[in-house]
Formats: sequence, structure tokens, C-alpha cells
Amino acid sequence: MRSRLPAVAEQLFRDIQKTYEDTSQSKTREVPGHEADSRPQGRTKCIVPDDLLIALKFVFGPCALQALDLVDQRSVTCLSSSSGRKAFQVIGGSGRLYTCFVSCHYCPCPAFAYTVLRRNEGLLCKHILAVYLCQAIGVTQQESVSDQQMSTLLSGTVAP
Amino acid sequence: MSDILTVVFRTFMSHTGLKTDLAADPPPPAATTRSALVVGDHSVSRSVLLLAAVTAASHLGLRVMFFTRTQIQSLPASLQKCVPSLSPESLKFLFSFSFKKIKFSYPRTVEELLHQIASLHESTNTSPTPPSLIIVDRLEGFLRGHSELHPGEQSCAAHLSALLCDTAAFLTQVLEKRPSSSGPCRVIASFRSQEDAGQAGGEPSATDPVLDILDRYFQVRCTLDQDRGYEAAAAGLQQVWNIYLSGRGIADASDTKDCEDRPAEAQEWQLLIYPDGLMEFKVV
Repeated sequence: MRSRLPAVAEQLFRDIQKTYEDTSQSKTREVPGHEADSRPQGRTKCIVPDDLLIALKFVFGPCALQALDLVDQRSVTCLSSSSGRKAFQVIGGSGRLYTCFVSCHYCPCPAFAYTVLRRNEGLLCKHILAVYLCQAIGVTQQESVSDQQMSTLLSGTVAP
Repeated sequence: MSDILTVVFRTFMSHTGLKTDLAADPPPPAATTRSALVVGDHSVSRSVLLLAAVTAASHLGLRVMFFTRTQIQSLPASLQKCVPSLSPESLKFLFSFSFKKIKFSYPRTVEELLHQIASLHESTNTSPTPPSLIIVDRLEGFLRGHSELHPGEQSCAAHLSALLCDTAAFLTQVLEKRPSSSGPCRVIASFRSQEDAGQAGGEPSATDPVLDILDRYFQVRCTLDQDRGYEAAAAGLQQVWNIYLSGRGIADASDTKDCEDRPAEAQEWQLLIYPDGLMEFKVV
């Protein structure tokens, strides 16, 4: 099992990004073809077409919708330090902050430790998936931290 | 990352020894792999890591960060005897030059190790030159100690491995912006699995869950497997080790389009250790 995305997942995010860019350029509207109350609610879920939503759920399982909720809540922040080092910070459902890496998959949440690492039953947890989705549709928050704060966050020694 | 290990094996092959002329051989082609895990007996793997550090510093001119829990009391005999034609003073100067490019760090706990690796992006560690090779000796020693951060070894192993890979990726970006780029930044770590420890004690082997986690992040596995046949003793050798390079880093390198333009990297080597500690490698 890789610590990076398989090709099908990468293509899925490219498709979502393109769809969002196309939708943003035209008037924002719900994708027709289904009853409104049969589709999951939330801004992101309304923008992403059904076929891509289905693909998301197929590839990533139950955490797909949970990740979309995090995207709607604008829970992902890209932290940057003066050295140029970056990391992602995600606000989980309980309000706890999780620091994820830019170049490979790791999350300190229990779901990543159990479902991904121990049982090898999922590619990602909802936090890492939310990072990818936020990057795809350009809703990642930005924040600057000092080099020392970045080191502390990356090492996980002290919660921010 | 198998490129630096392969340079080590070639450098200490029986018919060459350590080259005194650092410009004699051009550096190997840029490799796509950046992380390698040396799995096996920790005394042999430590020697391989030290050879890699000195070879990278002296032969390739790279700056090296070497993390280990235990103080380094002596160098492998191969380094001490690699250049018999040099006087002790010249040899000392050669190693002094090499070791100026190698920084040794002795974190006592996994938390200290995590923080030191996480701090490599800070200016105190990237000036004047960022490290191009990060070495971590005996991961199992760090992972199997008590950690307040992680409830289990697997989570701790994933955090440490991901941090190493992410740090190397960042340092690669920094190196590639420099005029005299010595990138990419590579990672080599050693690990002794429970399977190896079990075989040494005569217990049945079992899959090591921590090794499964490490394999997610390290592109190449360099397995050290002792040959316990009688031929070693008959040849006057203290030990013979079989070295296997495997993993997706090896498979990806074989699939690159330019593989027809250069010879394939040897994936199987043999390490001969003589009674005086001298180590020699040969291609199988």
C-alpha cells in the first residue's frame, strides 16, 4: 500500500477541480437530474456532480461524505513558515486540530491509525481527504506560523 | 535511494577499495527513489549506514545528518583500512574533511528524534547548505520505547516515516533552488524486524506489523540476510551476507523510459566480512 494516491483517485480530484472551475465561471447552480431532497446537503455536494460524488464514495468509502462536510465547514488551513515549509491543519468534527503533511499521507487521528494503518481498509481518513478536496476546489485557508511553531506542529510534540 | 547504497557497494567492492581520487568516477544517474530502509542485523546495518554517510560526504560531497541513539565508538574496519597507501595523518585529514560534512545527533527518545527531524527546515540547519542525506540508525530502538504521543508502534512508525519523507521532499525543493544543487535529499534508515530477532533466538518467524507500515513510506528495502552455509568458514570469512534490493522504487526505476540508455542497477549483492572486520561487496 502506497503512502500516496493511486492514479484513479488523482484523476478524480482533477475532474472535481475542473468541474468546480467550470461551475465558478458560469452562474452557480445545482446540477439537475435528481430530486433535491435525495442528494446530500451542503454547498460542495451541490457543486460536485452526481457521477463524481458516486466515484468519491466508491473510492474512499464512508469517509467521503464526512470529508465533504469538513470542506463545507472550511476546516482545512495551509500553514506556511518563513523557511517555506508547509503543512495542513484540519479541524476535526470534535474541534480537535490534526496536522497533516504536504507530500505524503499521515494523520494523527484514530481513524487513520486503525482503519488505514492497522486494518488496511481505507486509503485515507476524512481529514486527509478533506485536504485534497479543499485543494481541488480552492477553499483552503492560509495562515503563517513561525519556523519554531512549524517544527512543533510537524513533530506533534505540543498541540497548537 | 538505492543510488547511494549502490555507490557504497561499488566503492567497497573487492577490486577497488575506497577511491582516493574523488573525481575518478562520475556520480550515478539521478535516481527516482529517495528513501531506503535497510532491514537486518543491526551491527551490519549500522556499518552500512556509516559507510553510506562517509561515501556520500567524501565521494559525492553531500551534507549528511546522522541520527542514532548510541554513540559511535569506532568506524567500520573498511573505512580504517580503505586507503592503505595513505599515511595516518593523510587519512585523518581525509576523514576530517568527510566528517565536517556529517553531523551526528543522539536523540534519546522518539519525541526528541521527531522534533530534531521536524526542525531540519529551520535556517540553523539549512545554512550554509541543507542536508542532502538523512540517516536514522535503528528505528526499532526509537519506536519500541515508550511514547506519550502515540498509543501504538504502528502509528508512531507512520508519523516518523512520513515526517522523514516530507522533510526530504521539502529539502529537495530547497536544494534544487541552489545554484550548486546537490539534490534530491535522500533518506536511509535501518530497522531490525521482530522476524529477524525471532530467527536469531530460534523462534518461529512472524510478519512484523511495524515493517508493513515502514514499507508504505520507504521506496526501497535493502534486506541483509546472513548466509549460514559452511562456504563462508571454508573461505576464511567471518560472515557472508546476501543483500537484496526490492520495493516499488526498484520496480519504478526498471520501468523508466531511459532504462535502455543505462545499465540496470544490480539488485542483488553479497557482503563479505573478514575476521579483521574488513567489509567487501560484490555483485551477484
